[in-house]
Amino acid sequence: MSSETFAYGALVPPSPHGVRAAVGRVLHIGVLVSAALLISGYLVGLFSDPAAYGSHAVEQAHLQAKAAFPHSFAAVWDGIGHGSGEAIIVAGVLVLILTPVAGLVTSTIAFARRRDWLFGAIATTVLAIILGSFVIGWLTA
Amino acid sequence: MGIAELSLVLFGVSVLAGVLGSLLGLGGGFVIVPVLTLVFHLDIRLAIGTSIVAVAATSSAGAARNVSESITNLRVATFLALATTIGAVTGALLSGIFNTRLLFGLFGLVLGVSGLQMLRNAPGRHGSVGGLAKTAAPPDNAPVFAMAKVDSPGRAPTAGKAHLADKLALHSAYYDEAEGVEIPYVVAHTGLGMGLMYLAGTVSGLLGIGSGVLKVPAMDLAMHIPMKVSTATSNLLIGLTAAASAVVYFARGDIDPLIAGPVAVGVLLGATQGSKLLAGIRADRLRTLFVTALVVVAAQMLWKAIS
Repeated sequence: MSSETFAYGALVPPSPHGVRAAVGRVLHIGVLVSAALLISGYLVGLFSDPAAYGSHAVEQAHLQAKAAFPHSFAAVWDGIGHGSGEAIIVAGVLVLILTPVAGLVTSTIAFARRRDWLFGAIATTVLAIILGSFVIGWLTA
Repeated sequence: MGIAELSLVLFGVSVLAGVLGSLLGLGGGFVIVPVLTLVFHLDIRLAIGTSIVAVAATSSAGAARNVSESITNLRVATFLALATTIGAVTGALLSGIFNTRLLFGLFGLVLGVSGLQMLRNAPGRHGSVGGLAKTAAPPDNAPVFAMAKVDSPGRAPTAGKAHLADKLALHSAYYDEAEGVEIPYVVAHTGLGMGLMYLAGTVSGLLGIGSGVLKVPAMDLAMHIPMKVSTATSNLLIGLTAAASAVVYFARGDIDPLIAGPVAVGVLLGATQGSKLLAGIRADRLRTLFVTALVVVAAQMLWKAIS
């Protein structure tokens, strides 16, 4: 059956391997960078204040949303400068959140380079919607 | 118990959530949120923020492998992302207008019906060529499909309804490790799929939940995309929708690093393993596993509607 199957497959080519490999690579890099930040941030926090990580009171404060932690880009940047473990973890989370978007940017560029203008335009539109929702979200948060 | 012990427990639960999430194209929130809120009494705001991080982790770690191996259909994902992201924005703008309880109830019912439908469709997909033509569904079973193609060369079972998919060149093929063959498939009812994706995005925006549970049935039932490709493609899509809303949760201070961090690491590890399992799992087993998860999520939604 293989020849017919492949003949049929050739009629409807899947997206070229180059695009998929590039997107896969970007996602993979994002995952590795994020994991490195998440783990190192946790360890920095643990070794700089071991008592806090064992404290029942600290744990309860976090579970009840009473703990303070960085939640703006400025605070994260500032925290990393001061060697704050929590800020490094948040940076890892941000890399993780932005990784799918980086994958989309990669496929947008790849579609355009292949002169697949229709999909280049579709991917650009999706990107614009996501960036628009970033802005709307930021302004309303 | 302190943060250190809590982290270990969350890490373990998250590995499981990551495996299931990346296999099934779901965010894994349906595993993590009940543990966080019911067992640890975590503030619901932080639980939802953590769940969004888990979705992003599942998506990236799961898709990294499956995009390269072309189980994920990148063209379908890109095209459908138009509908899911516009839907997510619509849902976010409309949130607060509708009765949330009613929405959860409605959503639970829709999931229940989708689950039943997915079970009902399963046997026909392993039946004869005749049964195949009747349901017009590309099967999870390659050789039968390949024969169907030879019978009517150049004409898909769904020809006539697949014009948009033809123009967009959405049809593709993937190598199924469990079957040991390359499985070509024809994408059907692109317009309908697009509409359902818009609704899925809207629901996820309205209720603050991942919508993989709606995306996979939409691709499987309406667009006739093979189960593995559906879950892998959903996996890529949920990351984009999550990214759009995650920044809001971050800015609001809903993402606590000491809770979301260990969850993210566990999910990354689990989802990477789950994506390795996807190639080798049998499609009918994947379908059964998915429907089981669907029932669990439907029960959670109905519970939220009542309580």
